[in-house]
Parts: sequence; C-alpha cells; structure tokens
Amino acid sequence: MENNINYNIVILGGGQAAAHAATTIRQEDESSSLAIITNENYLPYERPPLSKSFLLNKVKESDFLFYNEDHYKNLNIDILKNEEVINIDFEKKLLESKNKKITYTKLLIATGCKNRSLDLENVNSDDVYYLRDINESIQIKNKLDLAKNILIIGGGFIGLEIASSANQLGKNVDVIELADSLMGRIVPKEIATIVKNKHQKNGVNVHLNTKIISTTKIDDGYEINLSDNSLVKCDMIIVGIGAMPNIDIFKDSPLKIDNGILTDQNNKTSIENVFAAGDVANFFHPLYEENIRLESWKHAQNHGVAAGKNITGIKTEYKEIPWMWSDQYDLNLQLTGRCDQYDSFIKRGKDENEGIIYFFIKNNKIVGACGLGIGGKIGKDIRLAGMLSEKKVEIEEDFLSDPSSKLNKLLKK
Amino acid sequence: MSSENKQWIEVGNTDQIDMEDLIRFDHEGKTYAIYHIEDGFYATDGICTHEAVHLEEGIVMDDEIECPMHQGIFNIKTGKAMGPPVCIDLKTYQVKVEENKIYIEI
Repeated sequence: MENNINYNIVILGGGQAAAHAATTIRQEDESSSLAIITNENYLPYERPPLSKSFLLNKVKESDFLFYNEDHYKNLNIDILKNEEVINIDFEKKLLESKNKKITYTKLLIATGCKNRSLDLENVNSDDVYYLRDINESIQIKNKLDLAKNILIIGGGFIGLEIASSANQLGKNVDVIELADSLMGRIVPKEIATIVKNKHQKNGVNVHLNTKIISTTKIDDGYEINLSDNSLVKCDMIIVGIGAMPNIDIFKDSPLKIDNGILTDQNNKTSIENVFAAGDVANFFHPLYEENIRLESWKHAQNHGVAAGKNITGIKTEYKEIPWMWSDQYDLNLQLTGRCDQYDSFIKRGKDENEGIIYFFIKNNKIVGACGLGIGGKIGKDIRLAGMLSEKKVEIEEDFLSDPSSKLNKLLKK
Repeated sequence: MSSENKQWIEVGNTDQIDMEDLIRFDHEGKTYAIYHIEDGFYATDGICTHEAVHLEEGIVMDDEIECPMHQGIFNIKTGKAMGPPVCIDLKTYQVKVEENKIYIEI
C-alpha cells in the first residue's frame, strides 16, 4: 500500500464504535472512500469475552469479531492494521504514522480508553498484567496456565471478572481494594456485599480497605505485605484500577478536551469535520443537559452508529440511556441511567435469587437503577427503569418496591 | 425430527399472555417462549442463543424480543438475530389458536 493515502472519511481507532460507525456510513454513503486505522493486528472485536469466556477457553478470537474480513471488503472499507498514529495536524487534515501519511476530509476519533497503570516497588513491570485488548488477554491466559496464585489489584468490574474467571480455572485468587466496598461508589453496598460474598464463597480472598505496604521478589514470584496485616504470595499480578480517555496525541492540538474529547449531541467536536464517538468522547447528553463520558459496550456501539449517521449528514441526536453489565460466576449485575445523582432510593427484591434492584429516585422519578440477579433475572426491570427514566414517569414507592408489580404498566400510563 | 413426527402441543390459554409479553413453556426437557403481539401469537426457542439465558424475563417491543442479560434482540416472527451481541438466530415454531387455546407444533 502507498505511503501517502487520501480518504474521504477516516476513522481513527479500531474498536466497537469504529466498526459500527464504518458500517453505518456505508449504509448511507456508497461512494466515499473510507478507512479504519487501528494500532492493533485484529479486525474490530468484542471486548466482553476478554475477561470471561475467552479466558475460560470457551471461545476463540474468530468467534467474537463484530464482522469478518468479507464484510469490510464487500463494503469497500479499508482496515489499516498495526498503524500507530503518532501525529495529527487538524489544519492540514493529516494523520502520520511511522511509515504513512494519511489525509482525510472528515475524521471520526474513536480511540477509546487506556488503562491506568501502577508502579510497584521491586516488581518488574513485565510481571504486571493489564487487560484492555486481545493481546493482553492472550498474555493473561498464557500466564494463567502456569500461575497458581493470582493477586488482583483493584476490586472494580474488570478485576472481579478476571477473579471470577481465574477462580473457575482453579487458581488461588486474592483481590485487594482500597475502598470499603467493591465496584466503586455507584453500586449500592448491599449489592456489592452480595458480590463479595459470592467471591468469598468460591474461595477468592477479598481484602477491602486495603493497600500494599511492601513487595518483595522471591524465587517464583512476589511476597506482598498488605495493610490488613496479611502476607500474600503470588506468581501473577493483575492490575485493574480504571481507565482514562486515549487522547495523548491531541494534547498539543486545538481540539477541545476535558475528560475526553468534548462533543455536542451530534458527535461533533470543536473542530469542523472532526467527530468523536465511544469511550473517548465526553458528549452532551440532551436528557441530562450536561456532558457525560461513558465506558460501556452498548454506548460504544450506539454512539458509533450515531456518529456514522452524523458524518454522512443525517443529523442524529444521541440521547441513549446509559446501560452496562458485569457477569461474575452466575451473577449478572446491571446499571442504567444515572447512578450518582439521586435524592433517595427504592429497593425491590430481597436477594440475588429473586433479583435485587435499587431504583435511584430524584423528584419522585427514576433517574437510574442498579440490579443484581442470577442469570437474566433483573434485566427486564432494569431495562424498564431506563425507559421510565427517559420518559420521566412519576412513580409510587409501594408499586416500585413490590417485585410482583409489572413496571411496563407505568410506561403505558 | 422429520415433519411427520411433529405434533401440536397445547401451551395454555390465550388470556395467560398479556399483549406485548411472553411466557415460558417447558416440554420434554426443552424450553420455548410463547409471545403475544399485535399480529397474534408466536413461538421460538426459549433460551437466548448468546449466553443460555431464559428469554421469559426479556422484554417484548413490537415484534422483537430483547434478552434480559445483554440486550440482544431477536425478531419474534422469524427468530432472526438483529445484531450484536447476538448472531445466531432463534428457532421458530408454528402456532395455532383454537377455542382460546394456544398450540405449538414441535
């Protein structure tokens, strides 16, 4: 392929938002030249299996591509793999990698997030594993084959999903978390405690309110002193302490950035003909009347679809209700709407078998919800809670708290 | 199973399924989902093709069923998987209603 290439539309980043944006663009525009530039060696793929079914050897790489090679060929979408863009010039509409100069007319930035990293004293950084992409998942999987004792730093969704997988593979697992509850502030403590108990029942050691005091290299791994006075021996360390938007190459550019790339409700950034979608975008949400940034599967998909439409000139306001899930063992946890801005909550259901849901209430309306259940137990009510929050339906506590009342009746009011 | 071996099995009464809703029907170790939508009654396999979850807890919108676990969507009439995360179609079954009783052909 030539070193100087021009495309009408370039998508920077090769994840979920990119795959769906490119496909959507082609549905609306058959003729514009179109490329996805990715620093990975893979076609866009699903990330949820990376911490779960892929680690458990239930699926292989080719099982979770969004689309196969033929899809992109048939739609005349070029995928430039292994291209690390190191410089961008918005004035010249130019992207530069080590070997290529790529010019564009319209640009979609979908570079996603990168993991926060942690420096550990006396620990070789090669011995510390992170999970975001498929190569990292393969590395974790290979190491898990050999390792016996796994230390996971960070009791968030990724850390706990890997803990669940490693436990199912028969490994000894310790999870340490700085806070007094798993999964951050937005998951109600009662629900976080059920998840913690599940891990502990399966043999995972969960250390809350705990930090690392010291680390010592020993023959086949490390000895870690923890602030709860325990000493953990491990031959593998995995860090899952959150992510931040992947925006390094824009730092000295005029692109407006504040916790991600700022966009309006139509994926438009501060620069004309430059759009952003997915985890990297801090977008204006019309329902909430402020900018929010989301890191979730459905958002990456649908924000990409909206971007594809907006790029081709079909004005599309993006106002999806946030929604995400986490699967650990047979538990399915879901969050919808806004789970950090409420006056009170109403609880429905008593445990994971019945399905337990906290509805977050503001001005007598649902603004968000968090639920936990076995299998798909709480999915329907979480989905309906999202719809009720969108429609701003007034609710009654007695009705909402009764597990036998059907929430879809409120929608029809 | 060849078509000669198929038979009509009674599922229940029409008033057991609200409009835009579904019920689960178990028969000989298999689970089916029976839907009531504007155009009538329909039946598919009752387990999502993605992660083996019962669709009975799912949500019916127009002629689509959304899985409660990961919001994968299938067309109720054709069983077609409508996009990620689901990619394998649901099997569908013939349905008939006689004297307010629902039957499926399996």
